[in-house]
Amino acid sequence: MEEQPGLSDQYRTASPWPLLVAVGFALSEVGVFLGIFPVAVGGILLLGGSVAGILAESGYARRPWRTLALLGGVFAGLGAALVATQLPGSSVGLLEVVADPNGVVGRGLAVAVAGAMLVAAGATSQMFGRSQQV
Amino acid sequence: MVSAQLVLTALMGVFLVGVVAFLSRVEDWRSYTPLVSGGGGGYGDTGATVHREKPAGITRWLTTVDHKDIGLLYGTYGIIAFAVGGLMAFLIRMQLIAPEGAVVGNSFYNAVLTSHGITMLFLFGTPIIAAFSNYFIPLLIGADDMAFPRINAIAFWLLPPGALLIWAGFFLPGMEGAQTAWTMYTPLSAEQANAGVDLMLLGLHLTGVSATMGAINFIATIFTERDDDVTWANLDIFSWTILTQSALILFAFPLLGSAIVMLLLDRNLATTFYAVGEGGGPILWQHLFWFFGHPEVYILVLPPMGLVSYILPKFSGRKLFGFKFIVYSTLAIGVLSFGVWAHHMFTTGIDPRLRASFMAVSLAIAIPSAVKTFNWITTMWNGRLRLTTPMLFCIGFVSNFILGGVTGVFLASVPVDKVLHDTYYVVGHFHYIVMGAIGFAVFAGLYYWFPIVTGRMYQRRLGKWHFWLSMLGTNITFFAMLFLGYLGMPRRYATYDFNSAIAPLDMVTLAHQAASVGAVLLLIGQLIFVWNIVQSWLEAPAVEDPDPWDLKETNQHGREFQWHERRIATALADGGEEEEAVTDGGKVVDGANETSDAASDSADD
Ligand code: HEM
Ligand SMILES: [Cu+2]
Repeated sequence: MEEQPGLSDQYRTASPWPLLVAVGFALSEVGVFLGIFPVAVGGILLLGGSVAGILAESGYARRPWRTLALLGGVFAGLGAALVATQLPGSSVGLLEVVADPNGVVGRGLAVAVAGAMLVAAGATSQMFGRSQQV
Repeated sequence: MVSAQLVLTALMGVFLVGVVAFLSRVEDWRSYTPLVSGGGGGYGDTGATVHREKPAGITRWLTTVDHKDIGLLYGTYGIIAFAVGGLMAFLIRMQLIAPEGAVVGNSFYNAVLTSHGITMLFLFGTPIIAAFSNYFIPLLIGADDMAFPRINAIAFWLLPPGALLIWAGFFLPGMEGAQTAWTMYTPLSAEQANAGVDLMLLGLHLTGVSATMGAINFIATIFTERDDDVTWANLDIFSWTILTQSALILFAFPLLGSAIVMLLLDRNLATTFYAVGEGGGPILWQHLFWFFGHPEVYILVLPPMGLVSYILPKFSGRKLFGFKFIVYSTLAIGVLSFGVWAHHMFTTGIDPRLRASFMAVSLAIAIPSAVKTFNWITTMWNGRLRLTTPMLFCIGFVSNFILGGVTGVFLASVPVDKVLHDTYYVVGHFHYIVMGAIGFAVFAGLYYWFPIVTGRMYQRRLGKWHFWLSMLGTNITFFAMLFLGYLGMPRRYATYDFNSAIAPLDMVTLAHQAASVGAVLLLIGQLIFVWNIVQSWLEAPAVEDPDPWDLKETNQHGREFQWHERRIATALADGGEEEEAVTDGGKVVDGANETSDAASDSADD
């Protein structure tokens, strides 16, 4: 540390999150654009988790779990909206469309499912984390 | 199909579990609490000291948010990309030794050509500049680090996935490399059924996001993190060019990103943005692409111009001539560069009045470029020149930039362009700039700052060999290309076995062979370069002199070398203390590894 005069030691010089944010972003993009369901879901999970982590680490959020759930909500909403654009007016066709997802529906579903998983993860950890903290 | 999905799902699951394992190894979750609640003491030593030392080994590089480390990562990445792109270029040149194509098939040639261009511009050019700016801008402006160190790291880590995606077509089963050329013109790029193209577009998109994040960070850093005694009036020239470059990136790259997303949608989801006869039509792509593409060439050339403006005076024993005007011309180029994009489209049948106005602005942009050139020459005029390797590369830069710039002015004139468009003349023009100028400035910067970054000196004789081989090789290869353009040789062809009634085939072949000879010289030069850098880094004796270029004599010891001097001084003063001082820091991180930060630093840096 002495070898860095003039450089502040006040901030952390290491963080695992940037790498994960980047990889999460890359995977979600590939998964969603190419319509590869598992990659899209996994990528969004990683992205959401690491964004929550990096926000908590840098002090923008008090604890990661609520952020995680919030992000999940946003993704779920986006995915649902994407699916909604493709649904026929009545809900009759819903099952068919889901069973045989065309391009847009499949992608929307992936985003929505990942979002829901993030919400679930955030909510459980919030409860679990709180009880542990006390 | 279903089983493939299952396998993928399982793989993703394993991967995510691996991530969690990695996190639990690296991360001390409790260390957050002290940060949030403000008091460092709450959790005792662990929370307060962890991560203050850099973790050891590979984890350090995976988790670093230190601007110098990130600069090194960018640099390593850029050099690797330069090697890949360079070998592709070499293959291209070998192919064109014979009219019927000497080495590979036509489709593979197309794929390699495409990938060469994209690799050099997006994976070498932008990142290698970021290497310099990350390492040195904070030092030059007296900042502790970048304004947003974590975003800085995110921007870097988007690049490796970007590169993998861009190259994926070559090695993934069932795909081939994209054959779109780096300009990705529609309808070709929209209709080429090959998932390799999608992956390449996604990879490009990632590199664009990365560049944008980096640009925001540099703007914020230069505006807000300057030391008190660094004002706008005495801000160094390299920082000025990075600031301008970042502004250009901010306007250009998001546009490329959107255009690419539209192309992806056209390809995968049946939209018709660029479809023939619908929407914007294929010409829309050209407008969007070149609205990005021309600023991109200045995004690539401005910081190298800054490097040369910074380094050249140091070895001329004089101040940079007309500093203010160099700054003004940088800003002028930045603004004008958004008003010239249609000079790439003179032959597409756009309105002649538009053509004329784009011609006028394109000619105008030569003026600020010439201002810089004259300032560099005047700086050297009557100076006390010292022909060190970085200085040689600076002079080579000026010389090559003149050739590249003058040929650009010719191309900017509509009637000339109508003859030369899409010939090798254009290839010669921009390679004089991207290789002859940008490449040379990068080398100048690498050699100039080598002692700071590595604490060692490169081997001077090898540096000279590198310069002369590069200078000769560049001028042989790319002058031959200008000549090929005059002979009417179209660019991008895998073969040129023309009917000799329409082309002087002997002369064309000879010129191609000359270009390939130049490529051999270039390759040898770059091998020497890599050897020199690696071997000197590992084995050269440490440089204790804080002023290896004798800049104090002329009062040109820059801020970054002053920082270097302080670093050497504190390292010496600490002497034997070091072992002990670090041990208690070292214990905290991982418990097992007690190597001192300083020791691992001097080994890695
Ligand atoms: C002095 C100012 C310059 C002028 C007036 C100029 C003009 C032109 C023109 C008119 C073209 C289009 C030729 C054609 O396709 O028919 C062109 C192509 C090109 N220029 Fe320049 N140029 C200048 C500087 C630069 C610089 C500084 C760079 C690089 C940093 C550059 C890189 C390129 C590239 C990459 C192309 C080829 C694009 C393609 O693939 O079609 N030019 N230039
Ligand atoms: Cu241009």
